[in-house]
Amino acid sequence: MYVATVGLSSCGGCHNALFTIGEPLIALLCDHNIAFSTYMVDHRSISPADVVLIEGGIRNREELEVAGEIARNARKVIAVGSCAVFGGVNGLRKLEVVPVVDEGGDLPPLLEEMKPLDSCMSVELYVPGCPPPPNLILEALKSVLDGYSPAHFDGSVCSECPRRAERKSIRSWSQHPGPGVPHEMCLLNKGLLCLGPVTRGGCHSPCPTRGAVCIGCRGPSDVVQSSQLHSMFGDMVKYVSLTTRAKEDKVGMQLMCMLRSIYLFTGSDPVTRAKVGEKTGG
Amino acid sequence: MAKTKAALEDSADLGGERVRVHPLTRIQGRADIEIQFSPDQRVNQARFRALEFRGFEEMATGIAAFRAPSLLSRICGSCGPFHQLASCIAIENATGTIVPKTALWFRELLSFLWLGLSHILNCTYMALPDFALPTSDAAVRNVIGIYAIEQEMIQNLTAVQSAFADSLALLAGLPIHPSVVVPGGVSYLPDWTTCSKVGETLAGCEHNLRETLRLVELLTKRSAQMTETETRLQGYYLASTKRESPAMIGDTVSYAEFDEGEPTDMDHGEFYGSIEERPVPWSYLVPVTVSQMELLMVGPLARVNLGFDTETPWAELECTRIHEQWGHPLDMEFLFLMSMTLEMIWAYENACLLLEQRPRHGEACAEPEVVESDGIAVIDGPRGTLVHKVWLDSSGAISRYQVISPLQFSCQLLNQHLTSLARILVTGLEISDDVAQLLQLSVRAFTPCVQCGTH
Repeated sequence: MYVATVGLSSCGGCHNALFTIGEPLIALLCDHNIAFSTYMVDHRSISPADVVLIEGGIRNREELEVAGEIARNARKVIAVGSCAVFGGVNGLRKLEVVPVVDEGGDLPPLLEEMKPLDSCMSVELYVPGCPPPPNLILEALKSVLDGYSPAHFDGSVCSECPRRAERKSIRSWSQHPGPGVPHEMCLLNKGLLCLGPVTRGGCHSPCPTRGAVCIGCRGPSDVVQSSQLHSMFGDMVKYVSLTTRAKEDKVGMQLMCMLRSIYLFTGSDPVTRAKVGEKTGG
Repeated sequence: MAKTKAALEDSADLGGERVRVHPLTRIQGRADIEIQFSPDQRVNQARFRALEFRGFEEMATGIAAFRAPSLLSRICGSCGPFHQLASCIAIENATGTIVPKTALWFRELLSFLWLGLSHILNCTYMALPDFALPTSDAAVRNVIGIYAIEQEMIQNLTAVQSAFADSLALLAGLPIHPSVVVPGGVSYLPDWTTCSKVGETLAGCEHNLRETLRLVELLTKRSAQMTETETRLQGYYLASTKRESPAMIGDTVSYAEFDEGEPTDMDHGEFYGSIEERPVPWSYLVPVTVSQMELLMVGPLARVNLGFDTETPWAELECTRIHEQWGHPLDMEFLFLMSMTLEMIWAYENACLLLEQRPRHGEACAEPEVVESDGIAVIDGPRGTLVHKVWLDSSGAISRYQVISPLQFSCQLLNQHLTSLARILVTGLEISDDVAQLLQLSVRAFTPCVQCGTH
């Protein structure tokens, strides 16, 4: 089979995560053929491929053209990373108006907003994360090559976190990502905005385990994602209200100023956007 | 930093044809080389153009200062931890926060492991094919092609890669975009057991690292024999330093001329004050100059030219040996793979040394108190010197942010070098694959990271 990888508007971290797989990845690719990959191979044109792993969203006209060409040439597309799946951190431009730079000239003109991959092509598999755990990228690639469905993890980051939450009132919330909290204490109990309760797990909670808050890089968990009645913000408010016994209205007011942190990776996602609009009245 | 922005002077456009080598392959990010011809079809100039822009400086504006490092680390998937670190240091400098010594120790340990991982990934996937299979067809001139022919060569490299990646997974949870570096310090401190495991993991790759050095030395010698054009690097090299030696987290920057080689030091304030942006209309990358030094190189070659100290004897020995063999300073582009390999040894030795020096007690983090202020950070990432400047408002949010990345420092020397090379190699409007390869090799020698460059 022909495999390809492409980097659109992104940091390149998903390709680096893919490369950290090392010999198992190289051996797998050796058994197949590389159609194109600007990170690895010197082919300059896009040719037909059975599987294309795409990192990044669409931020300029050139990337839009590349995405269109891939859509015409690829049998199956895997969206790797939160930029490809949700639009990623560039989604910050959606929540508040940020001036768009238009350099003009012969450089690829910037689009008004970041587009996630499935806005212009059909996607077979989504592997969210910033970057996704390397084993999940490899599993996704193998599953498409061998024609099976990869295991689906529907729990939240909290379900994998070794820290334990208590019912405890919180006077104020801090955006600090983790100032040396004891290893058994839930970060939310310390008043740190950890998005573990509403974020998709499968990453083995590497950040909260080491005292840093979950910043929601894998996007909403199944419960949040699958229903219009749920949102990352709304579910965080409910969770915090339950654990602190504070009224939802009060918690909502407290967390409202942290909206940009809550939607850091998902602000470009159309579903998320609709929910944010509903919550903020925007 | 100079407030006035002077436009960079190009060679005059002579109105001839333009040809693109597009897209550039085996580099981090989307870019091309544009070659401009004179009307009689001679090369007028060649330039590296960055084709992507995301706007992190604008995105950071308005965000809570404590959350900014997590956002800014997403500038780059290779140098991300260094952006996170620089952002934390800039916030700490703005708020006058004293970072606990134990946190400084952990940050330094992580920075060397990140350096090692970044270099080994760059070597294996991007740089090595130019040296291992330089004359092969594009279909096999890649890591998979090398693996098919010479499995052991790649196994050595992936063993080193796994050692750095596994060590980072143990200490920071993730090798790419870890969250443990936070404003004021680190989010936790590793215990003795974790440090011992990391020590064992690293020790397991020493043999592979020696083999990698031997291999790179052989390939570099062969590459030197095959190189037909001798275009030497001109201008200056510059790196972050501490006690006159290169340091990822230093307290000065040192620079020297490729022609003379005697380094001069500058403190961070003076360095930042001497940086001038010189935007061009044809690239999303904004070149900068330092103290009127237009032609400047940062990154592995620059650091290796400044030399390693006696604390890392293996790296110092190999570095001295390479300088005896190739001269000082190293000013040939094909020596970049060797310089990255020397730095992997330097990173390995420093990480092992720091693991032995683990402090017994100490705090992980001091919580900064955000006030209206500004601060800068100057550090070195894998690809060179990196500057972050932050302006904070009284509400604890970012009011303005500025990032100056390695490629911004190096791009004018890169363009000058590309033009010299293109004038020798390009003989008509048709650019052959061989010539395109040689031009791309000279770009890769600058270890360009477009995502960092344009942020």
